[in-house]
Amino acid sequence: MPFDSHRIHDVPDDLLAAIDYCYEQGWTDGLPVIPPVVDRVQAMLAYEGRPPEAVIATHPATTLQLTVHAAAVNAVMAGCLPEYFPVLVAAFEAMDKPAFNFHGSTASTGGSAPLLIVSGPCADDIGMNADVNLFGPGNRANATIGRATRLILRNVFQMIPGISDKSTQGNPGKYSLCIAERARGNPWPLLCETQEYPEGVSSVTVFASGGFFNVENHGGNTPEQILGGVADSMANYGVITLGQSAVILAPEHMHIVAGAGWTRQDAQEFLFTHAKRSVEGMKSVGKHRDRDYNRQHGEGAHRLVEAGQMHRGMTPDDILITMGGGDAGGHSCFIPSWSRDRASILQHKPIGVCIDCN
Amino acid sequence: MQLYDPSSSGAEKNLSRAMAFATLDGKKIGILENGKLNASEMLREVADLFVARNGCTIQAIYSKSNASAPAPAETLAKAVAEVDFLITGLGD
Repeated sequence: MPFDSHRIHDVPDDLLAAIDYCYEQGWTDGLPVIPPVVDRVQAMLAYEGRPPEAVIATHPATTLQLTVHAAAVNAVMAGCLPEYFPVLVAAFEAMDKPAFNFHGSTASTGGSAPLLIVSGPCADDIGMNADVNLFGPGNRANATIGRATRLILRNVFQMIPGISDKSTQGNPGKYSLCIAERARGNPWPLLCETQEYPEGVSSVTVFASGGFFNVENHGGNTPEQILGGVADSMANYGVITLGQSAVILAPEHMHIVAGAGWTRQDAQEFLFTHAKRSVEGMKSVGKHRDRDYNRQHGEGAHRLVEAGQMHRGMTPDDILITMGGGDAGGHSCFIPSWSRDRASILQHKPIGVCIDCN
Repeated sequence: MQLYDPSSSGAEKNLSRAMAFATLDGKKIGILENGKLNASEMLREVADLFVARNGCTIQAIYSKSNASAPAPAETLAKAVAEVDFLITGLGD
């Protein structure tokens, strides 16, 4: 008898009718799902070493739990192949860390979407896209891992749009927002390496993202020009806060920056220094708060913090930078944290392995 | 065809509301503000209505450092010990 057999729904042996049944139950994101038939769920579970009843994540307010089994059911519905499952499990292990605050980011009017960045050999092993049309459609792993994340938030944690998900305008990334870090031609250490996982271990980084900013620059030829454009997007009055940032540099831009000898830390410090607005400017749009200013400029302030200016984030380390996208085109992107403050801090976990587990 | 239910399959916990007071007269009020702009001012206005109408006293004001996360357990435990009821709210 399958695990939790009382949770099985018997439906007519008709695939299209089963898809309609899933709609009728309110189990979808608005798009059709793969009906979660028992044998597909069992195949998904074969890629996880823990028992189906093992708990991966717990909602801090409602105490609803995500078990391995429920994750597998939603992964099937999203269209995941079984080999994708360890990425999804690791993503929720990371999102379960209190500092990520997945309840707040999902419930908020801010319209956050969890951005998943897969780093390391796993990305190629399961056929993820780190290249052309990085954030766009066309790759099953990217699309369905991100979608499964949303389905779990909806079906397991009951973060229902309009009820417990109060996004004012939402965010297209709430359907799916999962990418791979581009390793090919990347001059900087991969994220999984900077996260100090053992060699060969991949990771998934989760980031409670706001909307997506394309940063176009086809004329800049120096790191200052390329990153100056990025910093300007980060300092936009609409998004400048104490929150963290994700910057995905296009290969063309990365080659200009790293080709001039800049390290990741150099780029982070440049962006932190230049992504700023004056206090007067912040006041002019009604967004200045003494509390935020004092937090950034008070005891322990980073050495690059400038008096009279509000920087984006608290330190250069608040800016995640890596490379992704196709070889052609001067199109990078900046993605702000959903949090206007420090309500969500990005997290990461290894994929498919247990390191220092309890 | 058999389909698995995709909702939470973890252990169910019994969550219930607190019992309602027979009267609010003379109760000790706590305010739990979330740090958002004007939150404490708005909640204070609400609490003042209970003071004026029911003779309540404002006993304590608690703050959350993270508006969107549940209040820390130690904050709630302190409130349970110090006040009869809490006034809180969430909004932008």
